[in-house]
Amino acid sequence: MSKEIKGYRQQPGKLPFAKPGSGGREPFSKLRDLDMIPESEGGKRPQPKGKNRHDHLLTGSSVGRRTPLVDSNWKVTGQAKYGDDIRIPNELIGRILRSPHHYAKIRSIDTSEAEAIPGVLAIETGQQHTDLFGVLPVTKDEHAMAVDKVRHVGDLVACVAAEDEATALEALRKIKVDYEILKPIHNMKKSLDDVDEPIHDRGKYHIGQSNVQKRVFQEFGNFDGMKKAHASSKEKWKFAGVNHGFTEPHAVVANWEPSGRLTLYTPQQVPHYVHRSLADVLKIPMHQINVHRTFVGGGFGGKSDPFPHEMCAAILARKTGRPVRITFDRDEVFYTNRGRHPSHIEMNIHVDDNARICGIETDALIDGGAFASFGHVTTYYNGVLHTAPYEIGSFHYTGARVWTNKPASGAMRGHGAVNSRCAVELGIDDICTQLEVDPISFRLANLLPPHSSTITGFRITSIGMRECLERVREACDWEQKFRKLPLGHGIGIGCGFFISGSGLPIHWDPNKFPHATVHLKIDMDGGVTIHTGAADIGQGSDTVVAQSVSEVLGLPIEMIRVKSRDSDTSPVDLGSYSSRVTFMNANAAISAAIEIREELLKATAEICNVDKETLVIGDRRIYQKKDPAVGISYLEALHKAQEDRGALVSSGSYRTPPMGGVHKGAAAGLAPAYSFSAYAAEVKVDPETGITKVIKVWAAHDCGRALNPLSVEGQIIGSCHMGLGQVLTEEMKYGRNGSLLNPNLLDYKIPTVHEMPEVVPIIVESNDPEGPFGAKEAGEGPLLPILPAVCNAVYDAIGIRTNELPITPDKLYKQIERKMKVLDIKSPLDLPNPTLNHSELQKALDERANEHKIRDSERKLNTEREPYYNGTLFGKISTIPPEEQDENWTLSVTPSEEYLANPRLAGSAWKHQEVRHMNKGDDA
Amino acid sequence: MKTPPFKLFQPKTIEEAISISSNFIENNEQFDWIAGGTDLLPNYKWHLNTKPNVISLALIEDLFHLDSTHIGAMVRLHDLANFADAHPIIKKAAASIASVLIRQSGTVGGNIALDTRCFWYNQAEEWRRSIEWCHKCDCDTSADCRVIANQNELCVATYQADLAPSLMVLNAQIHLCGPDGSRDMPLSEFFELDGIKRNVLKKGEIITHLTISDDANSWEGDYQKLSLRESWDFPEAGVAAAWRYSSQSPSEGLELRIATTALESIPRLHNNITNEALINKSTIDEIAAKLRLDVKPVNNTTFPPNYRKKMVEVLCKKALDGMKGELT
Ligand SMILES: Cc1cc2nc3c(=O)[nH]c(=O)nc-3n(C[C@H](O)[C@H](O)[C@H](O)COP(=O)(O)OP(=O)(O)OC[C@H]3O[C@@H](n4cnc5c(N)ncnc54)[C@H](O)[C@@H]3O)c2cc1C
Ligand code: SF4
Repeated sequence: MSKEIKGYRQQPGKLPFAKPGSGGREPFSKLRDLDMIPESEGGKRPQPKGKNRHDHLLTGSSVGRRTPLVDSNWKVTGQAKYGDDIRIPNELIGRILRSPHHYAKIRSIDTSEAEAIPGVLAIETGQQHTDLFGVLPVTKDEHAMAVDKVRHVGDLVACVAAEDEATALEALRKIKVDYEILKPIHNMKKSLDDVDEPIHDRGKYHIGQSNVQKRVFQEFGNFDGMKKAHASSKEKWKFAGVNHGFTEPHAVVANWEPSGRLTLYTPQQVPHYVHRSLADVLKIPMHQINVHRTFVGGGFGGKSDPFPHEMCAAILARKTGRPVRITFDRDEVFYTNRGRHPSHIEMNIHVDDNARICGIETDALIDGGAFASFGHVTTYYNGVLHTAPYEIGSFHYTGARVWTNKPASGAMRGHGAVNSRCAVELGIDDICTQLEVDPISFRLANLLPPHSSTITGFRITSIGMRECLERVREACDWEQKFRKLPLGHGIGIGCGFFISGSGLPIHWDPNKFPHATVHLKIDMDGGVTIHTGAADIGQGSDTVVAQSVSEVLGLPIEMIRVKSRDSDTSPVDLGSYSSRVTFMNANAAISAAIEIREELLKATAEICNVDKETLVIGDRRIYQKKDPAVGISYLEALHKAQEDRGALVSSGSYRTPPMGGVHKGAAAGLAPAYSFSAYAAEVKVDPETGITKVIKVWAAHDCGRALNPLSVEGQIIGSCHMGLGQVLTEEMKYGRNGSLLNPNLLDYKIPTVHEMPEVVPIIVESNDPEGPFGAKEAGEGPLLPILPAVCNAVYDAIGIRTNELPITPDKLYKQIERKMKVLDIKSPLDLPNPTLNHSELQKALDERANEHKIRDSERKLNTEREPYYNGTLFGKISTIPPEEQDENWTLSVTPSEEYLANPRLAGSAWKHQEVRHMNKGDDA
Repeated sequence: MKTPPFKLFQPKTIEEAISISSNFIENNEQFDWIAGGTDLLPNYKWHLNTKPNVISLALIEDLFHLDSTHIGAMVRLHDLANFADAHPIIKKAAASIASVLIRQSGTVGGNIALDTRCFWYNQAEEWRRSIEWCHKCDCDTSADCRVIANQNELCVATYQADLAPSLMVLNAQIHLCGPDGSRDMPLSEFFELDGIKRNVLKKGEIITHLTISDDANSWEGDYQKLSLRESWDFPEAGVAAAWRYSSQSPSEGLELRIATTALESIPRLHNNITNEALINKSTIDEIAAKLRLDVKPVNNTTFPPNYRKKMVEVLCKKALDGMKGELT
């Protein structure tokens, strides 16, 4: 009870807030929907996967309900302001002069003629802005504009601010640049060699004189099994580079405000890194900058680097004292790229006579283009992200990322995992064909159980892989279709595994600062304001935090408002990448909401004079669980809690638990949880033309818990579309002279609605112990399985296994012709149709799968479970790390002399010494 | 990306249009015709051979007429595709063009007179600067062709419009009008080799309409288009076929025409092949194989030329499917 104030009384007419009113659009609070309350909390929601640590917080308000995104009204009514919609009075238009050469030194730049054009207010070049930036602190290699040399066609050379676009373009034409042309490299294999003029100079960390930007070597496991493998699948893959193809081209507005501070309006996935980079390049403290994230018209990883054009806009605005807007043409989007790396991947998969995967050997050479971007991480991800969901006997990975004179590759939905995953899943299909077993049975008999550790030490918690496979098998009528459809018609399966939030924050020690922080503020009106830095890029992250808070506080979602745009008012968030936002940010939001919840419960307990522990929160009402008549409205409780201090505020944060191994690179791929998925695709292939049409996809994804089933399904369907592009039609094509031939959306072939099959989304909920209400991710993982599912279906249809993406008709037709020649048949309509007669192994696999199924559900429900290390399937003791029980267990992150004598393609990057080790003998 | 400024003229009659164009010719001023603008404006945005003056045909009512034998130049592709009395091959070809949205603006005349395409050419200005231009838009540099190297005489950009072959196999007649008066000719004689010249249109001359003879309905046929995606994409190869049996003697009286598009700088009737086939009573497979040998695609579109060539054979078989077995 607050102290009574003597001598002052409430004045007549100034009444307190109305008592029963409880906020929201609906005037009356509803009963708790018991279908949404778990059984363990007295509700009716079944819990086949056990309890969750957030169960007691569930009020039935919004979690698990199909919730339209909270910002959708802005979008559907055309009022959302994207990058280019920001109009500040008196703006100037900025344009960028780009390099016409693949590789050249800049001798001089003459801007005098351009500057003389009336209406041109500023022209800036790289010489004045030489500070490096880049998304990863370890590989900063970008400038606002080229300083000494240009590294690809489209590289930034100068920028212009003018009264209008036509004048700015005219000025670009008048800037004279004197180049000394250098010999470009377009072929990534050539970038492994020493050259006279590597594309970057990394000083003592430079790898030889080569264009190798990053190399990885990893050996884990006992390689004896692999050496005497029963069956193997070996394939050399070529993956074309693909671009995100988001709808909104990059656009930015920079405004130097009267306060002397800069506000940068930009559609960014990762505003915080832009914030840091701006401070570096502009040489001003971060507190002098406000980064405002506009609506983002699609990102998919392509808007997650700090970009040179963002620096240019700020530089021009500072110089002219006027707001500057830069909007890209589509070709500039392609020059900025950061899409998926073109890759050469060699994938060897070995199984023993029990159909256990005794070895995976991967060699991935990836083409980074001209800059590092996220490439350091990508190089690891190409290997480490296929060490699950299968239990494996040994894992050998060599990866190298090289610079070439092309637009930079970077992070794209499914970052680093997509291509090698595709190769793994096709390898498994191939092995199953050799072993004459069903590929779904094979997978079911080789899965890691819940709460296990992978071969490289990733901590698997929840895993819904088995359920994904089983549900897809049933939904698509697999038994009736696989290897039974006529020629030209096929079905295939593919799986996926992806991180749910990168365990390592890029810029700081995870033990020191949290990954995500959320602030809440509730004033007298009862509405809750959420301050978060998480970037809603259309994926619905605003909606997820709003739902989390609404759930814990028992409020309808319209009482929650999310302020996530300005770095001035948002706590720092790492941004929307690595599928981290739901997991980390919703967890932070829940902890912030718990604080408020406690306050509300305390206030209610005081007013009703009952024990706090007996109370529950329902829809805008807090009451005794046993006797709902005893309770008060949310607003009453709130106003009580506000007495003496005004608005309630709270702060919550999330940080990953300590985990992972200690070897070099152990942090790459570490995540607090992982998502799993299995898709079946049914295709029709015309053997006469090589044209593939996907007709239906059954897509099961384990997202832990679908906080918003509507957006999980949206992500699954959208991922299918995006992955279909990569598998069937999309590629960044380079001509014989290295020019990007298709930097526009007519020639860069994104599937249209006609190419889009029916997708049946199947949500699998494995109930993650650490995720918010059990949730994991659904943004990237769902993309992975569509590629192999389609490729495997193509094999089922015409018996041709592709090793090159995209499978454009011309390429597939070439393979068809080759096969006809080998088999000496005249018409492609006479191609043999693959069939399957189960071998003896099939029964053994089915039995093992059944045993494992029981094992898995026991482990899931048993909270006293013991550890399970990868290797158990091969006879090791499950509770002891394999390296501690197997003398022949290898754990190595540098190649041996023996390996270097005969390295594979990417592995040959290790032939070079780093500059700092040169002339120092043999300590490479 | 900015469309360079141009002056727009909007005549209401053919006469007025011709007098505007004659005027420009006299004063040695450059101009372009514009119909739906779905080809011209994208090219202008990329600064491809832009002109300071553009004459629109959109207000000339006479050009909009459509009936079963007369197709005005300004008839929208969408309307043609949905016109009940249009020949099925023409409807099919029209419906395969670009996308629903583009067909609402794109016209028959614009489709027939479509500019040729080439991936060294249909690119932004900056891009073309980076390859130092090419012969078709050389910015006064006398640049060479990038497809057929070491020469700047011939452009082999590909004619990638869908309508022409279907109209050709139905023996359509094209009608032109210009400063020197009106003329008409079989559509198959309208096109001229060279990706820059493209057709017989003289300066200041327009297509007014196409006519199809009354007996077109006695012809059966098909149009087959190869493209990577079902919508949007220009044809990578297109084969139209039409055939009919004269009433007197079904076996003797077979007539057959085949035309192709998107394989060379012009669409083409392949009378040499069909005539020979009729005399020799060739099979469909034999005709298709001959057709494949008769086309010479080059590498300047999405698919490689050898694939397009092979697919001509498949498209031809599919186009003649309805005629199966009737030839011999
Ligand atoms: C994304 C996209 C996809 C496309 N896909 C296809 C496709 O699949 N198949 C296809 O065939 N086309 C395609 N096109 C091209 C174009 O849309 C169509 O060919 C359309 O029919 C052109 O008509 P238009 O009226 O818009 O032509 P315009 O752009 O107005 O004109 C085209 C050319 O013809 C000239 N011209 C127009 N009318 C006349 C006339 N009456 N007399 C003399 N000259 C004239 C113009 O001067 C200009 O050179 C596509 C275009 C785009 C942008
Ligand atoms: S064919 Fe040759 S001249 Fe014609 S557009 Fe292409 S590159 Fe230019």
